[in-house]
Amino acid sequence: MPVANVIQLRALLSEKFPGLRQHLNSTSKAQNPRFPIPKNSKPGILNLELIKGALMEIVGKNSGSATLLRELLYRAAKENQIVALIDGSDSFDVTQIAEDVLSRVLWIRCHQAGDALKAADLVLRDGNLPLVLLDLKSNSEKELRKIPATTWYRFQRLVEETNAVCVVFTPRQMISSAQKRITVRSHFSIADLECDTGELLHQLEMEISDERRFEDISEPATA
Amino acid sequence: MFAAVFIPDCSLQAALRLEPDSGKQPVALIDSGLPKIGIVQLTTIARNFGIVEGMTPGQAMARCGHLKIKIRSSTQEKSAMQILLQTAYAFSPNIEATALGVCTMELKGLGLENENAIQNWAEKILKTLAQFHLESKIGIAPAPELALLAAHGTNAISIVQNANQFVSGLPVAALHPPMDILEILSCWGIQTIGQFLALGKNEIAERLGEEALELFERVSASSVRPLKLVSPPEEFFEQIEFENEIETAGPLLFVLRRFVEQLSRRLEAIYLVVAEVRFQLGLSSGEKYRRAFKIPSPTGGVEILFRTLQTHLETVRTDSPIVSLELSAIPARAQTHQFGFFESTLRNPNQFAETLARLTALLGAENVGTPQLISSNQPDSFRLAMTDFDSATIQNPKLRTQNCALALRRFRPPLPAHFGFRGEKPVLIRSKIFTGGVSEARGPFLSSGNWWDNNRWAREEWDIETTDGSLLRIFRSGDGDFVEGIYD
Repeated sequence: MPVANVIQLRALLSEKFPGLRQHLNSTSKAQNPRFPIPKNSKPGILNLELIKGALMEIVGKNSGSATLLRELLYRAAKENQIVALIDGSDSFDVTQIAEDVLSRVLWIRCHQAGDALKAADLVLRDGNLPLVLLDLKSNSEKELRKIPATTWYRFQRLVEETNAVCVVFTPRQMISSAQKRITVRSHFSIADLECDTGELLHQLEMEISDERRFEDISEPATA
Repeated sequence: MFAAVFIPDCSLQAALRLEPDSGKQPVALIDSGLPKIGIVQLTTIARNFGIVEGMTPGQAMARCGHLKIKIRSSTQEKSAMQILLQTAYAFSPNIEATALGVCTMELKGLGLENENAIQNWAEKILKTLAQFHLESKIGIAPAPELALLAAHGTNAISIVQNANQFVSGLPVAALHPPMDILEILSCWGIQTIGQFLALGKNEIAERLGEEALELFERVSASSVRPLKLVSPPEEFFEQIEFENEIETAGPLLFVLRRFVEQLSRRLEAIYLVVAEVRFQLGLSSGEKYRRAFKIPSPTGGVEILFRTLQTHLETVRTDSPIVSLELSAIPARAQTHQFGFFESTLRNPNQFAETLARLTALLGAENVGTPQLISSNQPDSFRLAMTDFDSATIQNPKLRTQNCALALRRFRPPLPAHFGFRGEKPVLIRSKIFTGGVSEARGPFLSSGNWWDNNRWAREEWDIETTDGSLLRIFRSGDGDFVEGIYD
């Protein structure tokens, strides 16, 4: 059967090349729901799955969210994906990132949460970028309180249409429509500044909850 | 065989090309370059009001109160002629720019074997020109001059099979002979070209001279003059000078859309697409506003091209009203792109370019782009470059060039602070984000640079852990104490 052959070929390709985008079935979340994960990845942050067509929230206050953001950029670069980083308070430190990674990043520097949301709206409507990171972690509480909840529902609809992944970094839980929420609860000491990056990533404590199913699916994951 | 494509009232049609509905209204064209300004061309409806060529605008307005007067424009005539030649070239490689609104083409080698094929071929030319709002006629005959005479006939397409039979019935005046020759011929009772040719070549030369001989040669089927072959101009531009000054984007966008449609169709007719659009606004102050838009993925799509211009125009503010608009297109061959298995390029580069333009309008060009590191030891040295993801494919990724553990969230600009020291170690910090004691500190890390020029900098840097558990990077420079960022 030719159909069976095609399915076998796709299975073989996805096994051999986990980073490969398979556009033919990308609309079906049930069949190919996740952003590709490296085959030999270790537990913890490296197993963090990004759901295509989903709005995700990463909550954390000085607990490793910027490190997590940086790791997502590296992972996207490994898979040759283009990333939009909407920086709500112009706090992204580019000097820590390799140039190879930066070459795949569209950095949008904002100074207010309102501007960041407008920029996110434009980028999500564009539909060209598979991963959109919106960093509101450093924006003031006053600005964040002004964001209406309907904004997130609108973003969720946009993301579903474009099959992109939108990850929002927030200082507190504020996106009720998020399909997945990750709370980062790590605490670092000054000695951790001398740790190896991989070692540090395994120290990240994350609580992952899947809002769609209204139940916790993972316990704090540490390496 | 030769074909002559003729645009009747070419100057008027060129002026009305961008307002196709005006052809159904009384419109007259005046030539401001003439010593006595008078009407030179007019629409059929204007003629029905009793207006004729040579009348002054005042006389014409007296006959028709709502007559629209247009001024002859050499730029618009040039555009119309370019369209004619470019269209003709798409149908025959041998073309001649015979006169304004006249293009002669050679049919040899086109494989048009019978009258039906010639008829279909000519219909296609007329249809293409009609897309540019140019009404034309075609005459096809064994000689170029005969083809032009045929094109002046009443039919849109006139095919002359028997040259002698065709010319014999035409009046001599159709050749536009000098007045003295016309009078002599009239006195001789010669009214038609057939009677004129019957006089014989030698007799005409002997009795009427060289001018009459030239007329004889023009209509003689046996003498075929060679065409002065030209290549169509590779310029694609549209220009308009507004009758009234424009102060809002609405009317400008209306005209701009027409321009984009016309340019896109012109290129489509010769199988090209738009790679770059150059846009120029003439202001009443005499200044020019120019801008070029490179199309990321060359296209002939009117919507895409128009949106690119519209997005930009929405942000344009000029000091004085707009009096003219010029749009030119740089052509290119359509690109085909094979998406690879392992690369992730933009699916719709034109859409992405428009989104970038909107983001730039929202946040400023200095806040949107791809970051590039600058080779310097100075902290936070980078620049934002235009995005070019097509050339950014990572073939052999070596991702971690630096072994940096925790990521830093920077404060731009750094937050002013005040530090208290015990020995070389900071023990107290007073700043907007934290005021209190320092439980642990690493440093100082000294750095300096640009000592050879006026941008000299030097700083002492510490990583500190505060009593509330936050990890901060602080520094002291000649300007004071600052918090540079927070580790997160």
